[in-house]
Amino acid sequence: MLTSGIFVSSELFSHLWQSVLPTYISNTLILAVLVVFIALLFGVPCAIIISQTNVVGRRYLRWLLMLPLAMPAYLVAYLYTDLFDYAGPVQRALRAYFQWQSPSDYWFFDIRTITGAAIMLALVLFPYVYMLVRTAFECQDQQLLRASRSLGYSFSKSFIKVALPLARPAIAIAASLVLMETLADFATVQYFAVNTLTTAIYDTWLEYGDLSTANALASILMLFVLFAVVAEQKARAGHRHQSNRPNNHIQLRQLSTGQHLLFAGYCWLLVLAGFVIPCLLLVQMAIDYATLTQLQQLLSSGLNSVKVSVFTATITTLIALLLVLFNRLHSHTWRKYPLQISGVGYAIPGTVLAMAMLATFGPLDHWLNDLAKALSFSGPGLLLSGSIFAIVFALVVRFAAIANGTIQSGVEQIPASLDIAPASLGVGLGRSLLKVHLPILKSSIFVAWLLVFVEAMKELPAVLLLRPFNFDTLSTQIYQLISDEQLERGALGALLIVLFGLLPIIYLNKRE
Amino acid sequence: MTTLLTISDLDVQLRDKQLLKNIDLTLDAGNILGLVGPSGCGKTTLLNTIAGFIEQTNGQIVLDEELVASHDYIAPAEDRQIGMIFQDYALFPHLTVEQNVAFGIANLTKNEQAARVDRLLTLLKLTELEQRYPHQLSGGQQQRVAIARALAPQPKLLLLDEPFSNIDARLRNELMLELRSLLKQLEMTAIFVTHNKDEVFTFADRIAVMHYGDILQSGTPAHVFQQPASWQVADFLQIGSWLPVQQQASKWQSALGPLSEFSSERLENNKVDEQYYLLVKPKYVEIAAEQPANVVVHHVSITEQGFHYLLASLSDEPRLSFQQLSYYSDVCYQQGQELSLNIIAHDYQIFSR
Repeated sequence: MLTSGIFVSSELFSHLWQSVLPTYISNTLILAVLVVFIALLFGVPCAIIISQTNVVGRRYLRWLLMLPLAMPAYLVAYLYTDLFDYAGPVQRALRAYFQWQSPSDYWFFDIRTITGAAIMLALVLFPYVYMLVRTAFECQDQQLLRASRSLGYSFSKSFIKVALPLARPAIAIAASLVLMETLADFATVQYFAVNTLTTAIYDTWLEYGDLSTANALASILMLFVLFAVVAEQKARAGHRHQSNRPNNHIQLRQLSTGQHLLFAGYCWLLVLAGFVIPCLLLVQMAIDYATLTQLQQLLSSGLNSVKVSVFTATITTLIALLLVLFNRLHSHTWRKYPLQISGVGYAIPGTVLAMAMLATFGPLDHWLNDLAKALSFSGPGLLLSGSIFAIVFALVVRFAAIANGTIQSGVEQIPASLDIAPASLGVGLGRSLLKVHLPILKSSIFVAWLLVFVEAMKELPAVLLLRPFNFDTLSTQIYQLISDEQLERGALGALLIVLFGLLPIIYLNKRE
Repeated sequence: MTTLLTISDLDVQLRDKQLLKNIDLTLDAGNILGLVGPSGCGKTTLLNTIAGFIEQTNGQIVLDEELVASHDYIAPAEDRQIGMIFQDYALFPHLTVEQNVAFGIANLTKNEQAARVDRLLTLLKLTELEQRYPHQLSGGQQQRVAIARALAPQPKLLLLDEPFSNIDARLRNELMLELRSLLKQLEMTAIFVTHNKDEVFTFADRIAVMHYGDILQSGTPAHVFQQPASWQVADFLQIGSWLPVQQQASKWQSALGPLSEFSSERLENNKVDEQYYLLVKPKYVEIAAEQPANVVVHHVSITEQGFHYLLASLSDEPRLSFQQLSYYSDVCYQQGQELSLNIIAHDYQIFSR
């Protein structure tokens, strides 16, 4: 795909450049910058409030602030549009109260803009920033802040001069993750009619059937992704250099009543906007519109979702386990490369990944059919590109990094001496893995499986493009309904996606 | 000499746990005080309370005639002019050596800052390392940077929390002497915390032995070593071995024979049923060839003072028998060999536990 994108004819590229490409690129860039900025504005203060102060309700806010992660951005986008549109209940109530007759009588913000899309995306992506930055603050050596205070700096100044610069790599990693998720988003921007590179790829390929142009656009998008990946890798390198000793004995800043109100209010506002309000709206829709027929349709697409997600999660976790253990137990310097290479897929947007799958499996299917014919067998049809094989393959590539990272951090907790201790007791490698490593890694393996399962349930663009005919998952069904402005009919399914999304958050919180 | 630090009646309670109780302590300007005691005895808590990182529940702290902590006033750590060197040095990993040292003197002009940093880097032999980051330094170099950083704002008092615990054993003594001479050269008053008795005898002008949040004894190292006030002090400082003794008729008996020239009147609240122990320093144990054997060698090691023997008694008397008595000699004895020992009459120190 990249090759055909790079070698696209100069005539086509020139045409693109003169027509739509500048708009696509500028929209993508503006959206990316806005989402990162807003997500930082939401996430960093929350991380500071929860990790450094005794804000009222801290114990609950600590995990409540993670809940928006369970909410797909396109759902939030639809629900808020429904709420704040001209025909929505908010504007209707305002018109009724102030007796305004038409839109010219008052000003009300338009949510279906690039800024609106950025806010919607930031509302569900800011927990990445919150979690990573909060952990960074909590893992900082508290002696550093004490050292700063013994050198004459107040608590606040010490925080700005020491804690904040030390958290910079974590902030950068979080920002790059948000950037990658924004570049990969398709449904939110499409619903808001914001033309970005992802929507352009989708439209040029499926609506105009122009694969070359789609390849060219995908290659440009990959350049942006590459930038995000490099930024993230650099930030991680900085993180390693600073290797602080974790210290969980943090002296919390005691807040005044006014500060309690202000800080708790800020955090609650984000919890309400990012999770509670959309969730309540979905529940309301489900109560008002759910029918038995919908439930039956839901069952079919729900089963498909579970099937795809179980396959994806199981295969991804098994591969991650093999690669992580190989990296741990092998002695060669190149042992790390399989793990690193397998993790690259997380940066590739689902749309681009789907194109790459079709570009690979389509010709392979044709070759298989030709081979079958040559051997006088009946052709197997589109065995790879026309079945859920392509979907699962794409999702395994996309989410391998999640499983790799989770199992890798579990393996890092195992002391190196445990790798050699079984051998000193006459136990071979196989039994040592079964009796020592796997039982210790049980929890990490489960978390990895759960995280991949939920991400696969939520994933839309890759499934949308790769699904076989008459094959719907919950996310594709809901996307179709949203496109037809009929989410009410899929509210139950949407709630199910959210509920599945909550599972790892609840589990991780309980484990913590 | 003027008193720089006065701590009176200091209590610290955290989450219903009494960490420090009725601490009274004074320290003269220019002196180095060593706070010693077993892990968890409250040494670091006392240091953090003086620095202002922990609030006291009672009592007061006066530094250089200024009240820094009392029942109704607590000066923030940043206003106390107390420097601190942390156990892990707490160097700022995102700053270079030079930036770390200059961190606390941002209120000075650039020229003044540069001059002071230069002086300290030269004094601590760090001139070649000024552009390096903490992770690029060895443990000893990191410690020197931490000292330079703490000294840069010219604090009235310097606190050192187990400053030598991360240093290789071979370098430790050298660094201790180096740091002591530096502090003396700068006439710096300092308190340092350690659980290592050898460090405190090498480094401190005065020592205070802590136990369960209390100061059991303070004084010069020589005084505390010669006259420990309680068995806990003697035991922690490993001043000698413990020999069980018992009053029989008018004499005090031990497994190594009677204690000559000792009167029980010297013991306060002497009780007949109480078990008493004599603190025996190795120099007060001698071979008594004429007597029957009373100890057996159960461990032999070689030290710079000759052979070091750990001896167990042969006594059948349960209240007098012992398992571990230290004895040094240039003569080589074998493990399992039986010996006859005697206690040389001296100013006996007997404690009940």
